Amino acid sequence: MLRASFKSLGVLLGVLILVMGTLCVPSFAQETIKIGFFAPITGPVAADGASSKQSVELAVKEINDRGGIAGKKIELILYDDRFDPKEAVSIAQKLIGLDKVVAVVSGSYSGPTRAVAPIYQEAKIPMVAAYAVHPDITKAGDYIFRQSFIGLVQGAAGGEAAAKLLGAKTVSILTMDNDFGRTLASSFRNQVEKRGVKILSTDTFPMGEKEFSPLLTKIKGLNPDVIYNTGYPSEGSLIVKQAKALGIKSKILATEGIDSTIQFFGIAGDAAEGVVITTNLNRDDKRPVVQNFIKNYKTRYGPAPDMVGASSYDALRVLANAIQIGGTKPDAIREALAKTKDFDGVTGIIKGYTKGEVLKPVQVQIVRGGEFHYFGEITDPEIITPPR
Amino acid sequence: MLLQQLINALVVGSVYALIAMGLTMVYGVLRILHIAHAAIYALGAYAGLFSFLFFHNFLIAFLIAMVICALAGILMQQFIYLPLLESPRIVPLIASIGLFTFMEDLYRLVAGPYILPFPVNLGFSGIHFFGVTLTSHQLLILVVTFILLGFVWLIIARTRIGLAWKATAQDVETAISFGVNINKIIALNFTLGSALAAAAGVLIGIYYNSVYPAMGSVPAYKMLAIVVLGGLGSVTGTVVAALIIGFAETLMVGYIGFILPRDAIAFIALILILMFRPEGLFGRVNR
Amino acid sequence: MAGSTGEPMIGTYHIVVGILLGIYIVLALSLNIITGYTGQPSLGHAAFFGIGAYSSAILSTRYHLSFWVAFPLSGFFTAIVGSMMGVLSLRVKEDFLAITTIGINFVVVAIFLYSDFFGGAFGIGGIPAPIFFGYKFTKPAYLVFVTGLVLLTILISSILLRSWLGLALEAIREDEFAAETMGIDTKKFKIVAFTIGTGLAGLAGSIYAHFMTFISPGDFSFPLSITIISMIVIGGIGTIRGAILGAIILGLAPEIFRPILEYRSLLYGGLLVLMMRFQPNGLLGHESFLLRRISLIRKQSVEWMKKGSGNDAYT
Repeated sequence: MLRASFKSLGVLLGVLILVMGTLCVPSFAQETIKIGFFAPITGPVAADGASSKQSVELAVKEINDRGGIAGKKIELILYDDRFDPKEAVSIAQKLIGLDKVVAVVSGSYSGPTRAVAPIYQEAKIPMVAAYAVHPDITKAGDYIFRQSFIGLVQGAAGGEAAAKLLGAKTVSILTMDNDFGRTLASSFRNQVEKRGVKILSTDTFPMGEKEFSPLLTKIKGLNPDVIYNTGYPSEGSLIVKQAKALGIKSKILATEGIDSTIQFFGIAGDAAEGVVITTNLNRDDKRPVVQNFIKNYKTRYGPAPDMVGASSYDALRVLANAIQIGGTKPDAIREALAKTKDFDGVTGIIKGYTKGEVLKPVQVQIVRGGEFHYFGEITDPEIITPPR
Repeated sequence: MLLQQLINALVVGSVYALIAMGLTMVYGVLRILHIAHAAIYALGAYAGLFSFLFFHNFLIAFLIAMVICALAGILMQQFIYLPLLESPRIVPLIASIGLFTFMEDLYRLVAGPYILPFPVNLGFSGIHFFGVTLTSHQLLILVVTFILLGFVWLIIARTRIGLAWKATAQDVETAISFGVNINKIIALNFTLGSALAAAAGVLIGIYYNSVYPAMGSVPAYKMLAIVVLGGLGSVTGTVVAALIIGFAETLMVGYIGFILPRDAIAFIALILILMFRPEGLFGRVNR
Repeated sequence: MAGSTGEPMIGTYHIVVGILLGIYIVLALSLNIITGYTGQPSLGHAAFFGIGAYSSAILSTRYHLSFWVAFPLSGFFTAIVGSMMGVLSLRVKEDFLAITTIGINFVVVAIFLYSDFFGGAFGIGGIPAPIFFGYKFTKPAYLVFVTGLVLLTILISSILLRSWLGLALEAIREDEFAAETMGIDTKKFKIVAFTIGTGLAGLAGSIYAHFMTFISPGDFSFPLSITIISMIVIGGIGTIRGAILGAIILGLAPEIFRPILEYRSLLYGGLLVLMMRFQPNGLLGHESFLLRRISLIRKQSVEWMKKGSGNDAYT
């Protein structure tokens, strides 16, 4: 009996060694510039993973078609983290140790990104997080940058938009229970209170929720001027749609979370008309970089690009720009990134980075005729400057 | 306001009952926890959506979805569950979960990860009475659910096949000795149960105007809570449990708010009730 | 053993994979005690992994306890909660229990997500690495520690199996009613099984939290429970070797299939279905295909040795 166990353990060991062998990846000579990328390509949030991956691939293709950076092409090494921090950790080790990338773009959510930020920091490999919002991500160190607005900034911008652009005197907050929702809701609340707006109610809902009629019925009774909705496309669209079905007259203010063109407009239908959002992509921006991005993305993939796509596209381009300036050594890339100034991004003119946090105006868009259009911009430095 | 919440709760509970019914039917006869049932539900939504886009007729799309899912159910039964009848119960459960994972990812690969709209306009905007709104989709759900569940009840309570079903659910060996064609009963089970899931998929798809690969994840585990609460294998129990959960969720959210996510509420209700009645509300006390 | 650039082939990546694998093995073995030995279907094991992780995280970040204190305490807390589930299992049986354990998983994660004490949606971060005689744990140090934990779990499982406790548990698994009539206090033993199994999972959770430095509620959700139970079923439920093999296979699968990116979940689901369909007893379970092969090869090689040399001195 015991011998059988030893034999089986022997088999196990053999299998293990064989398998470990297959996990070793030979490394080639440095012909290309290797940039790592991870995103939730399968799993519950595959839609954002797809958006991010496609935009990054588009950016890489455009750069390579123009001859690459200083004659060398970018090689994008991408992995699927399945929205699981454990996988992101393995991926990080793989990218650093085996694939030997010089920099990384995170196309993933806060959970996985936050788990790996310390790893990249320790390995001194610069990482640009495209759209993950958790405040602690950039606190991991000076090698970590964030391309999208930190939650604090966007929430405050939302508050400003509600008070100044929409002229609200009363608001109701309807927020998601995850880190994205909570961060935005709390900074929104601070900002509107500063502007003397009264908060009539605050309600939380779980991510993935579909049935908002109970909460909306309650809010209808309170009749606020504006309802602040922090949902992702699935929840946010349903809030908008069900609010209209209930005959709610309040204006709906949403965030970049809902900025997913085919999903938002598809689900909300004509209830989307008039909804205002804070986001990073101004569809009416006349600058060629924006219009070309929208056009090329549509041509290549079909639907119009969304916030996640825009952020990811810029994340890669900012990185490429830093490589162009600083060369291909990770330390030099980091320095060039930190010194980025007035970069012509799809998500706005990126003024620079403060402790890894991006500084750029917040776009406010409104839905007209089934499309996003320019409604305003929040440029007040007090609001958009990330906290030191 | 209370009336409106009650109407909402009824709609939610009805859909739960529709989905859970198939699960109960399979369990009643095969004693298997058929998690892949949720994948059939999602298949129904997709099949309904694509048929609708192709034929531009809602009724046809609805029927096609039911047929496709009935077929899928039969295939699962033949190739996965029947061969595993003799294995320890954990085995078909894991197989079912594997199948569910497989199908969900298949939907993503075939139809894309994005949420697809299912825009079916029913021609009228709903009815209003006593200050309460009942949208056209909500009305459709109530009507269809009532018809389909009523149909199932009729079969089970009033026909010979239904009698055979009840006998099989109670004691397979005795049923066989009485000449019941077990294979036919099992096949009927899967066909009917899967068709019901398809109907639910289509109804939910149009109600929320969303069809997406992971849509099965939400009902998958909550349905388990419901069928267990009702007493595994009890058809009446399932309907009652579904309505209880629907009401508990809606009223809690409407009056207290989300102190916990919806799914957790269903499971808490389950645990509390099981403490008092470990066989579920209408379950048989087994020894 | 160096690659083309002169770097050693066994690098940090492999060590990290090894650490995570080790944690999976502990989880599989600990569940095996509850579901494999005692026959109680527990589909919410990830919840106990989470309770251990959160306990350790809170004890070390908020109360500044050293890892060496937090680690055993976490196991202890988890075992206490686990014993409560053991009590629950006295009332609720079989399929009902299975679903209830799913419910426990959902409820525990929901509590982590909604309660500020547990950090809510933001999780808990900044969990410090253990310090050993003044030195912080390095990745290899974690591997050594996890290996130690794996060996401990194997030891406990073996002792359990061969002891009177193990015999009692097996009797309960085979036929609870008969066991009771024979005078076995099934209640006590069930609770003990749950306590030990969940306690070990809690320990795994503790080291996981310190290794990851950051945990959030979603890390411990139901899909992980499914993965753990799939591991022991694929490997061969009720056996130590089965739990280990299952953990290795399903733990390494994401890494091996990584190049195929798009189709991973498809393959994973398909793997489960095929395994259940064609090898329901697990790869190394009793009477499995693989074991039969191995004993066949063994027999054949003995025959060959007897014949080949023509010298009876070898037999």
